Amino acid sequence: MINFISKYRWFIIVACLVTGISLGLLIPFSETDPDIRNYIPEKMPSRIETNKIEQEFGVQDIVMLLISDSTILTEDNLQKIRDIDREVSKLTGVTDRISPFTVRTIKSTDDMMVADPLIRRIPTDKEGLDELKENILNNRFARDIVVSSDMTTASITATINTLETESSTLHKIDSIVSVYGGDSKILKGGLPYIRQYITEDVRKDALILVPVALLLMLLILKISLGNWKSVAVPFSVVVLAVAISMGLIPLFGWKLSMIIILVPIILIAVANNYGIYLVARYQELGQKNKTNSKTGIISELLGSLRMPILFSGLTTIAGILGLLTHSIIPARHVGVLASIGVSAALLMSLFYIPSLLLVQKNIRMEEKTNKRRTDGIYKILDRVSGVIIKYPRRILISVVVITAAVTAGMMLLKIETNQENYFSKKSPVAMASELINNKFGGSQTISVMISGDIKDPEVMKGIDNLTREIEKAEGVGQVFSISQAVREMSKAIYTDAEDGYDKIPDTRESIAQMFELYNMSGDPDDFSQMMNLDNTKAHVLIRLSDPENRIIKNVKSQIERLTESIPAEITIGGYAIIMTDFAASIIKGQASSLIFALVTVFILLSIIFRSAQGGIIGSVPLAVSILIMFGFMGYVGIALDAATALLSSIMIGVGVDFTIQYIWCFNSQIRKGLSYEESTKSSFAIIGRSIIINAFTVMTGFSPLIISGFRSIRFFGYLTIISIGSCLIGALIIVPAIIVLFRPAFVTNELTTKQIRIK
Amino acid sequence: MKKSIILLASIMLFNPVSAQLTDADQILNKSRELSIISSFQATIRLTITEKTGASRNRTISMTSKSFPGGVEKRMIKFLEPADVRGTAMLIVDNKSTSDEIWIFMPALKKTRRISSSETGKSFMSSEFSNADMGSPNISDFNNKHLEGSGTNNVWIIESIPVNDDKADEYGYSRRISYISMDKHQVLKMEFFNYDNQHFKTIEIKGFHSLAEGKYMVSNMVATNLITNRKSEILFSNISEKVQVADSWFTVQNLER
Repeated sequence: MINFISKYRWFIIVACLVTGISLGLLIPFSETDPDIRNYIPEKMPSRIETNKIEQEFGVQDIVMLLISDSTILTEDNLQKIRDIDREVSKLTGVTDRISPFTVRTIKSTDDMMVADPLIRRIPTDKEGLDELKENILNNRFARDIVVSSDMTTASITATINTLETESSTLHKIDSIVSVYGGDSKILKGGLPYIRQYITEDVRKDALILVPVALLLMLLILKISLGNWKSVAVPFSVVVLAVAISMGLIPLFGWKLSMIIILVPIILIAVANNYGIYLVARYQELGQKNKTNSKTGIISELLGSLRMPILFSGLTTIAGILGLLTHSIIPARHVGVLASIGVSAALLMSLFYIPSLLLVQKNIRMEEKTNKRRTDGIYKILDRVSGVIIKYPRRILISVVVITAAVTAGMMLLKIETNQENYFSKKSPVAMASELINNKFGGSQTISVMISGDIKDPEVMKGIDNLTREIEKAEGVGQVFSISQAVREMSKAIYTDAEDGYDKIPDTRESIAQMFELYNMSGDPDDFSQMMNLDNTKAHVLIRLSDPENRIIKNVKSQIERLTESIPAEITIGGYAIIMTDFAASIIKGQASSLIFALVTVFILLSIIFRSAQGGIIGSVPLAVSILIMFGFMGYVGIALDAATALLSSIMIGVGVDFTIQYIWCFNSQIRKGLSYEESTKSSFAIIGRSIIINAFTVMTGFSPLIISGFRSIRFFGYLTIISIGSCLIGALIIVPAIIVLFRPAFVTNELTTKQIRIK
Repeated sequence: MKKSIILLASIMLFNPVSAQLTDADQILNKSRELSIISSFQATIRLTITEKTGASRNRTISMTSKSFPGGVEKRMIKFLEPADVRGTAMLIVDNKSTSDEIWIFMPALKKTRRISSSETGKSFMSSEFSNADMGSPNISDFNNKHLEGSGTNNVWIIESIPVNDDKADEYGYSRRISYISMDKHQVLKMEFFNYDNQHFKTIEIKGFHSLAEGKYMVSNMVATNLITNRKSEILFSNISEKVQVADSWFTVQNLER
């Protein structure tokens, strides 16, 4: 290997730099995809069903503008609302709006059916304003839809289309609000705005988190390696690995998502480890063998570290590859990109770093001045190993008890798919979402499409029954359907003393003629969201005031029950339903990636330790860490979401290294002829500090995530630190205790002819 | 002052639109007069086609009669589809006040009056507005010739509502009419929304010639350029100057 590297050192260096730089130059071309809908494969039933509904009734993404005041019914406020509404109506990107100025009142006066605007002229006196208040409270299409019952907030709801880009439409709405809104308190909400904030935050995250992580890594490298020349070697590997993996995003035609930002962080945290080991060891060897040639030192260096680095890299890649079995699309992207990045870092560590060391002038080992500090660590490690040797049974029993107690928290584990909760409570988008959910029936929707003869009284009565029953369901804010309009029309046609009043008519002709009546006075688009032109498809739109996964599932099952008897084809879709599929994907993805990663790591460990028993014991710290992590999440209320669902795979990939390092070192000690107790003591002395430094380096690498703009990414940061910490405890307490207590045979197997010594 | 007069004279001399063309209001008035008929009867087929190709058809029979004071009354009976057969409408098109509309629904055995103060509203859910079905009041607009008007046997006249209220009433901010110079027949109209975006075109595909140079539109297509929805009105069995008693146009007669 050293001959190959020595011969092609310049070629290797140039090839790595050219690959990294060329792919890195593609990074600015990456686009952002903030739509969580695209996280789910297109073949998923909820996406197929939603597409069917959207083909007929358009995308149901709504933007809501909320204008608040102590009382919204003043001439000034109404004027502002009308100006904003009128300007929004002119936008090409807006299909239709619901506002106090678009809502109609269907009523009967003097034998006349009137479908008049709720506000024809803005009232200027108290009487007029009082009358308007009364009209709003009595109008089912106005109360809590365009004006809140407490008269403090009015809303303009705009359905946006694809005739103009979403960002351009939102930008124009922002301009309208700033020009016509004056000093009023106006909040903007709805999924398009949530997506806009996510896009902005993804970019902000990338621009802040990556540089912070790189700076932290520079600091760690400086502390570990001393001089900047040494620091440059592993640091360049990190930068190149990040450039390669992130540059592949536009090359593969993928887009940046909230969780793809984890890729550079994973690489910064993980990819430098191999380099640290190599350069530190190179420094040590250089100090010890001052007379030896550079090629000789590097040959010795690769001989002692090649295998552990290779195994460490392979297990990390195996763990991360577990994400490929995930059904969330960006999770698979993270799996591919991170494993390519780690592979690149691994290859560069084995070829590019030695080449760089060969061409660099001698790197001098800084004199260690922190002897006293390291002595302290060794003393602690010595005490810990002493306790393990003395009380292995008690330690394991305590571990079992603690793990069981923490694991119980898994019962409380929740799944979070609501994008509104990605933001902190005080952010404008979260405040708007809260207001929409509390006062206007919510912005997240479930759509039910009924395909059949809509004018058939059986079908219309079925829609009416669904509408009226689902309105009562927990978490449902507002329901819109054609049957409500039919009922309102019946109230305008019959008097309350007549039989047909507030009822769905019994004949097809009666319903058809009612529509004809409305067609003469209303707008053809009044019903366009509720029924198609040839009356073969109807749409029931359900807005959720509490778009929690459990509630969505419950509402969906109620819809299924209520539509069973409708003689028509039923399609249930909408953003909220996609979210329940997303939640199911998270659980399924979590389970499959976990099983894949654990099995792969078990196989790798079994190969490395040449024993299935070794594979099992090596997997124990991971299993314990996973249980503790999920239990902890349950207790503190951190939900499984798009980001935290990736944790276990990444943790397995990274956390297994510590166990491999410990068992490998223990094996070398016991094969020297030492007893189990002596081998434990000596392994702690040799490898304990390196493992701790390794773990803290990884934790530091992940730590910038705690300042992310997204709550779930922040949680991911905290949880990584906790889980890497528990993997560390697993490797330095659980595994040694198991070995001391059960004395498994595999630890005495011949693992390699080379003795492992890292750092 | 002298300079200004010379400038004005030279503008008039070299500006063919203002110097040589017939006044736009006069052209529109003439066109309007030629399309007003004392009475007629016809069968009308209205087809609304979505961009997806899905369509809805209505066949109605219409009897129309002009009354003194510019009032026009229309009796409409629905022939197709079967579920609305027998539905009847009476429309009283008042020149200066709001239209009055009554509709009789045989299945419900009810007659109801409909409020229709907004002429910009859709006619029977089609792309045509109620205003498109009649002749707009010329004084509601500022009319002028556009470049190219008076060539190729076509007048091109732009009509802009005199104020925002009129714009709201008609449902557009600008209209461009293409009128044949020889017959004063409107050939095409383009409508612009408040964003000055061309959103609708009405093309006249067929005319039914009447005595004294008068004419009736027999086929027209309205295309909504934003929704890509099309509506077509096709007249057939046209009879001019039908003898219909004034009492035919009453609410009581709707239910017969």
